[in-house]
Parts: sequence; structure tokens; C-alpha cells
Amino acid sequence: MKKYILIRILKSIVSIFMVVSIVLAMIYTMIPTTKVFEQDPAFRRLSGSDAIFYRYNKLDELGYLDNMTMDDMCRESSDDYAACMISDSEENLRVLQVYEDKGYTIERLVKYQNPDDTSEATVDYIAHYDYNAFQIIFNFWTNLVRVDNSGFVNNTYGKKLSEPVEERYYFGTDQNGVTGLMCSGCRYKYQIYFDGNFPFIHQNIIKLNFGNSFPTNAGVPTMEIISRGQGEQASTEQTFPSGITQTSPYIQTTCEFMPTPDQASLRLFPDQYADCISAYTSPSMIMTSYIFGIASLILVYVIALPFGISMAQHKGKLIDKFGVVVINLLISLPSLALIFFLKYIGSFFGMPDKFPQLGFNDIKSYILPIIILALLSLPSLMMWIRRYMVDQSNADYVKFAKAKGLSQKEIFHKHILKNAIIPIVNGIPGSVILCISGAFITESVFAIPGMGKMLPDSIKVANNNMVITITFILTTLSVLSVLLGDLLMTVVDPRIQLSAKGGD
Amino acid sequence: MTQDSRFTFVKVDESASEHIAAPQYSYWKSVFRRFFSSKVAIFMLVLIIVIILMAIIHPMISGYDNLNMENINDPTSRFLRPSLEHLFGTDSVGRDQFNAVWSGTRTSLFASFAATAVTTIIGVIVGMFWGFSKRLDVIMIEIYNVIANIPYTLVCMLIMYTFGAGLVQLIFAMSCTTWISTAYFIRVQVMIIRDRDYNLASRCLGTPMSKMITHNILPYLISVIMTSISRDVPSFISSEVFLSYLGVGLGQSYASLGRLVQDAVKYIQSAPYLLIFPLVVAASISVSLYIVGQTLADASDPRTHMI
Repeated sequence: MKKYILIRILKSIVSIFMVVSIVLAMIYTMIPTTKVFEQDPAFRRLSGSDAIFYRYNKLDELGYLDNMTMDDMCRESSDDYAACMISDSEENLRVLQVYEDKGYTIERLVKYQNPDDTSEATVDYIAHYDYNAFQIIFNFWTNLVRVDNSGFVNNTYGKKLSEPVEERYYFGTDQNGVTGLMCSGCRYKYQIYFDGNFPFIHQNIIKLNFGNSFPTNAGVPTMEIISRGQGEQASTEQTFPSGITQTSPYIQTTCEFMPTPDQASLRLFPDQYADCISAYTSPSMIMTSYIFGIASLILVYVIALPFGISMAQHKGKLIDKFGVVVINLLISLPSLALIFFLKYIGSFFGMPDKFPQLGFNDIKSYILPIIILALLSLPSLMMWIRRYMVDQSNADYVKFAKAKGLSQKEIFHKHILKNAIIPIVNGIPGSVILCISGAFITESVFAIPGMGKMLPDSIKVANNNMVITITFILTTLSVLSVLLGDLLMTVVDPRIQLSAKGGD
Repeated sequence: MTQDSRFTFVKVDESASEHIAAPQYSYWKSVFRRFFSSKVAIFMLVLIIVIILMAIIHPMISGYDNLNMENINDPTSRFLRPSLEHLFGTDSVGRDQFNAVWSGTRTSLFASFAATAVTTIIGVIVGMFWGFSKRLDVIMIEIYNVIANIPYTLVCMLIMYTFGAGLVQLIFAMSCTTWISTAYFIRVQVMIIRDRDYNLASRCLGTPMSKMITHNILPYLISVIMTSISRDVPSFISSEVFLSYLGVGLGQSYASLGRLVQDAVKYIQSAPYLLIFPLVVAASISVSLYIVGQTLADASDPRTHMI
């Protein structure tokens, strides 16, 4: 069994790897890079060589290519920096040749001081190396897991710092009473820490790095966008490392090292760990999707279980026929039509048209989307429960129970249900995931700020990193849910052996 | 003993003896008899035929072009409520919605039928071999595990995103992963039938695999395939509608039910009729196709012909 689980986990990891790699290759090779800049307001304002510099710089950040400005090239490959920086000098051309030999494409940029006068011009070079699909996939996976270490600050920002930072780990309790393993010289000050929030023990050592969002929320890591809170900043009274106590939205445990802090940051954070995530009043995108998903899931099971059971119990009677009609109607109706229909009905009961109208704090915002999500996954579950129950009721043990004189009710609830529920249990983790992916439509229609809405939104603006992040999360979740479903099934029914025994 | 004049010899009629041994049975006749015994199915069949005919014929007459906005500068022809002149009203640029809806229905129907055809053909062929060959099963089950684990909507959106908007891309996006679930569905059925005694006997007698598939197994699967088709077409209609609604479906040059819905959502308060008509047509197509398909699937199962 252990061996089986291990193999399954390995296979799951392989499938996640395959899916994300294929998606990466598709997105990076098939979407023209011009599309990436269509929605970027900063790019549209630029022209001439500035636009070219900006473009290559951004494409470098997004992982399309390796971009080298003259400054980078001279620093890296020339002994005589000053001579190298003079355009078209001997040293300059030699360095360019070095990069050209490495496979870089050199572009010569001419910038005229005066558009009418072509004699006075500055010449600059830029080199870029375009990655192929395999290199992009390799770069993605090698940069995905980021492990923090105490040498981080000195290695990364060494040149910008006046003196090296002390490198050490220590246990301690900070001025706000948060205990944990701290670090000086790491990217994050708090490595492992305990606070009162679920799941009580947190870490900053291993982080997933999916790159930055672009062009919406440019420069913010994609993981931060979907996992940080939304809405207004929530300030609390807290003490800062400098001893100052004031109300602030900063979450100090998330602070990153800031190489060039401003005066205001230095006043609060003398140790330069000043790049903090703020606390917000509303839940994050992932949390929002999950609140809706879980609530609707509970509703689905609360409705579908008793209804499906009584349908099977009264097979061929009125309730069964009515149920079959409802199931067929719900399955065949386009989900969008169903959503708008229910939304229309809801408007008579004073339900808001869009989620942001009343926001997170009003229960009314939640009712309609949850009912709709539930109705979308209700019919198939009900159909399967009925199917399994009806199949089971023809089994020999049911006849035996009848012969022994058990009542119909007893047989159904004590014997058939227990057997029929096994395949249903298998699907429970899966339906948790289905809630998220089914929420694409519902979240878009109601403008719910969740992950389901984020995907079509980021597709529209060509936010590649965000698309890949969400693909990764959804794929991981669904692969995990299948695995958990199988494991849960063996717990419920010990007769089921997942690992095959013997040959064949 | 002399010949008894009360009896006469009759010729042995081979065909009559056949007749007595096996009662008159025609597969397709039974299928139709079974199908037309359901009144709901007949009604739905008429409904879907009317919709399909309208979708084919009406755009030919009206010559509707989604890019033609000749009334865009004429404020009096915008947002006209449904009337005799404009049965479904007009939209924000003065296009007649009755024409638009039928043109859109044609696109949506075409896309979903094409996607179903692709899915079913590939799915059935692959599923057959998959169910038969144990060596293929080892590889295919792994591929299935990878593909089936990815949310379908995600796949559709990603493919439309990378290949761009268009009808061919849409059909490709909708069918490129669904075929494997059809294949898996067929594989399970084939595996159940494969080891039945009559197939074992057939194999012992030296029937080649291709003949086993076409003669022994395929007829048994007709109702299963029908069930799968009747589920696929409405689900593809639904997919087209929401993909276009999310803005990753067809481009501006096509009218489709999803695009009409997407355009109409902005005017849900001021002109709800713009939204209602495409949704009603989409719902009618889905429901009627589903019910017709399910009834036909039931009817095409020979086991229901007994009584």
C-alpha cells in the first residue's frame, strides 16, 4: 500500500510537470510577443529606441529571452569598462563580437538628438538571446522553488550596500510577541514563526516563484496577487523593530529585505527588512473561491443525498419521475442560461446583480452564487446516487435482508446506503476542485473577485505568468483531489485494494 | 395402407420455416417504433428539426453579416423592442436580432456538431483498440490520467488563448481533450464485452481482430455511443456559449449564441430581450437534443426491443 501511494504521488508529480510544461511551451512559443504589450499603457507612451529598450527589458523579465544592455556586457566581459562604453570603439566592438559568438542577436540603436539633424546621433547596442521552448521550460522549473538562505542579501545586493549584512540565524521573540526562527542576511527576516492564525506555524524558507504579473498589477508577484487580501487595507496597532508603536496595515512577519529603503521605512525598520505585505479587510482570491466552493459543496450534498436516496427508494413513483425531469433539465441547460435565469429570479428577492454591489460583508452577496454553483453540480451527483442505490438494491444481500424480515427503510439506510456511498466518497475531493473550475462562469457573471474570474481576465490582457500560475494551482489541486479520492475510498471501504495483487 | 384422400402433400417451404422459428424482427424498425412511442421525444424531435432548419435556411435568406453595421449611425433603429418588423428587436448598432440569432444558432450548432463528430470518431476508434490491446492500455491509461486531471474549461481557454479566436480553433479547443474521455468510456465498455463467451468462441474460431471489432462489438455499443453523443452536443453548445461569453471564443466576424449573450449582458437592465432570445434558443437546442438523444439511445439498445 505504501509503495502504491508513493508511485501514485510520483505519477501525480509527473502529470503536473507534463501539463504545466506543455502549457508553458504553448504560451511562450505560440502567442506573439506583440500581444503581451498591447494592453500595457507604459509601452504605448514610448517610442523609438526607448520602446525597444523597454520591450527587451520586459521580455527578459517575463522569461522570453536574455537581454543584455551595453552596460551589462561591459561589466561582465570587459576589463576596460570606460573604453567599452564608448560606442563603436575597438573594445566595444570586441565585446559585441564575444556576445554574437555566444548566439546573441545584436541590435544597433541610433538615437538622434534632433530629428531633423542626422549628423548628431548617439549609437547604442543591445543584445538578446531568445530562449527556445525547452530552455523556457527548464528555466521555469529551476526557478520555481526558491529556498531562502542567510547569504541572500550579501550575494544579491552586495554592491548596493554600504557594508555587508551580518549572516546569522537566531531564535527569538519580536516586539509584538511573535516567536520563531529569525534570520539576518536572508530574504525574509522571519523564517519559521508561530502566531495565533491558522495553521499556527508558518514559514518563509521555501516559496514558489512564478514571476511577476504583467501588464495588470505590473511588478507584483503573481502568487502574492492571488493570495493576499483584497479591498481596503486593515490597520492594526503594532510595534515596529525600532520601538515605534503606531497603527499600520503592515504584516511584519512577511517583510522582505529592502536594499535601498527610504527614510520613512528606515524609521520603522532599522534592519532594512521593510518590504512588507499589507493586511486587507477582505479575503484573498483563493479564499474567496474557496468560500464559495465549500459552501456550495455542502449545499449540494445536503440536497442531493436525501433527494437521491428517496428517488431510489421510490423508483418509478412520482418523486422519482419528478427528479429525473429535474436532472435532465439541469444537465442539458447551458450553464450560462441557468445562471442568468436564476439571477433574474433572484432580482425579485432583492439579491444583488453583482457581487461588488454589496461586497464581502453582506450575506446577500453570497446567496445567489452559492445556489447557482450548487445547482450546477447537483444533477450529476443526484443521478449517480440514484444509479448506485438502484444497482445495489438488486444485490443478493438485499434479498437476504428482506427474507430475514428487515423493513424497507432499515435496508435502505443501514445496508444499501453504506455500499452505494463508496463511489460517491471517491468523488468528494474531486468536487471540491470542480467548484473552482465551474466557478469560471459564475465568478465572471457575478464579478466575484476570485481565482475563477482571474483566469479569463488574465487571458484577455495576455498576462502569461498569471495564466501559468493559475494553471499550475488548478492542475495540482485536481491531481491531488483524484489521489485523495482514491485514498478516502479505501478508508471508507477496507475491501478495496488499490494496489493490484498478482499477475495478469 | 392406402393413401388417405383427406390429406394432401405440401411442398416444404424453407422460408416459411425460417419465419416460424424467428419472429419478424427488424432492428431499425424496432428502434423507430420504440422511439416514436414517447410523445415527449417526438415533440423534442420536431422542435430540434425546426431549429436546425431555421438555422440553415434563414441566414441564407437574410444574408446576415455580423460585421455589417449599416444602421450604426441611425439612432432610431437602435434598441427597438420586439415587434412584427423586428421579431427579436434590434441591438445597440441597429442589427436585427432575429437574423442575428439564427445566424448565431448556425455557428453554434455547426461548432458543436463538428466537435461532437471529431470527438466521437476519434474516441470510438481509439477506445476500441484501447479496450482490446493490453499493451496499449498501459500507455493510454497514463495519458488519460494526465489529461483527465486538467479542468476542461482551463484547457479550452488556454487553447483559444494560444491559437487565437476563430471557428476552427474553437472546434479544436473543444474536442482536443474530450475525445479521450469518450475513448475511455468506450474502452470500459469494450473491456466488459471483450471477454464474453461469444467473443472467446469467435476468437478461437480465428476471427480477425478487425472483424471482431466491427461485427461482434460495435453493434453492441451503438446505444452507448448514442448516449455519449447526446451528452456531448449540448455540452459543446454550453461550452461555446460560455467561452464566447468569457471573451475567449469566436471573434467579431461570427455571430454565435455565446457572442450574442456576451454583447447583451451589458444591456441586461435596459434591453433584457437581447439576452433572453439567444438563451432560450440555446436552452431549447440543448434540452431537445439531450432528450432526443437519450430516447434514441434507449431505443437503439436491442435489449429494450423484447417486449
